[in-house]
Amino acid sequence: MNIGTMIGMLMQGFVISLEVFGLTLVGAVPLGVVVALGRLSKFAPLRFLTKIYISIMRGTPLMLQMFAVFFMPYYVFGIETGAGFKFTACIIAFIINYAAYFAEIYRSGIQSMPRGQYEAAQVLGYSPTQTFFRIILPQVIKRILPAMGNEIITLIKDTSLAFSVGVAEMFTSSKALVASQRTMVPFMIAAAIYWITCLLIEFGISRAEKKLGYYHD
Amino acid sequence: MTNPQTPAVSVLHARKSFGNKVVLDDVSLNIMPGEVLSMIGPSGAGKSTMLRCMTLLDRYDSAQFSYGDLSVCDNGQDGRAIYSRDAEREARMRFGIVFQHYNLFPHYTVLKNITDAPIVVQKRDRTEVEAEAMELLRQLDLLEHANKVPCELSGGQQQRVADEATSALDPKLTADMQRLIRVLASEGMAVGIVTHEMGFAKLVSDRIAFLFDGEIAEEGPAEQVIDDPQDPRTRRFLSQAED
Repeated sequence: MNIGTMIGMLMQGFVISLEVFGLTLVGAVPLGVVVALGRLSKFAPLRFLTKIYISIMRGTPLMLQMFAVFFMPYYVFGIETGAGFKFTACIIAFIINYAAYFAEIYRSGIQSMPRGQYEAAQVLGYSPTQTFFRIILPQVIKRILPAMGNEIITLIKDTSLAFSVGVAEMFTSSKALVASQRTMVPFMIAAAIYWITCLLIEFGISRAEKKLGYYHD
Repeated sequence: MTNPQTPAVSVLHARKSFGNKVVLDDVSLNIMPGEVLSMIGPSGAGKSTMLRCMTLLDRYDSAQFSYGDLSVCDNGQDGRAIYSRDAEREARMRFGIVFQHYNLFPHYTVLKNITDAPIVVQKRDRTEVEAEAMELLRQLDLLEHANKVPCELSGGQQQRVADEATSALDPKLTADMQRLIRVLASEGMAVGIVTHEMGFAKLVSDRIAFLFDGEIAEEGPAEQVIDDPQDPRTRRFLSQAED
């Protein structure tokens, strides 16, 4: 098998990896805001629950969480799920896992904002919602970009864990190719693709940092 | 319109404690329309707490407190202040506040720092608000900086945007601030200032209140309080402030 064919097959898997990556971001970035606000809530039971949630999500393996989500409908609720549920379970697990990490990053950003910004907004009559979305959040985004970059780069590599519940992403394809073709080349190609993707993410993050670099506080 | 005889801001018998510490102990203060009042006194005397409560950043434990004819809080049967949320909201439309630290929004331009709240909160017309803001910036000699963000301005310029008047300003800027405060007052606005600059307080104020340990130890015309203080605590404070 020539390298071109291998790359073609790996790219098919890579499309699935990107789907896992993209859907996780689309779900976890906003869900993280909700979790962070819960974690910062004045209502103690909610604060406690989100704290436990974050602790479990960070304290247990993502692979185990994927299996838990995959098997839960059958073992807990007695619902039969089709083969297509593999992918759904994988995405759900990724989203709830990454939302916990994002939430802690958001919290660090929100708590780093000086009280004066809230007071200035309050004096000017902004509602709490307006204060959060117009004054606090835009500044928080700038502050948390480097930490988010870390997490997003980890995510693209973590998509290979989807292999464990049988989602045929790029790592699955490369492993199959290595076994059938008796060569390390597919792994090297896969590694190159992951790395190039990370370079693109790094580029995107630094562009965003430059764009928000028009001010400092 | 407010009757010129009604104080623009009136606080009667204000009390406030943080835990066991009494910060304000029966303080009464009012500012008439067009009047400039400065509060001076040592750190911890209660000046800032007084101003924070007057600007609704904090609440009195008990007080009768009103903006013109709008009552913001009054005491209930148990003697504790009861605030009306509607009155608080309405009162916030009636005053502006300038912080010791600039507290500009760093991600907004100078112009947007001034116009965002009137447009977003008070739902006023953008064109009109921006025209007013440009006029204000012209008065402050900051017109050319309208589209810069705060970090591109010098400290003094930031402070002028924030409309604050005190020590970080050089003498020329202090004179500018003094003129601006007088202009605002001549338009009928009541101005309350907390400052540690005695010279500035004397120049800009009509009246000065000297706070000490949560009480008003002395209050009177600016020149008299600074040049001929009656209360021994004021004398001691002023002689130390000169050093």
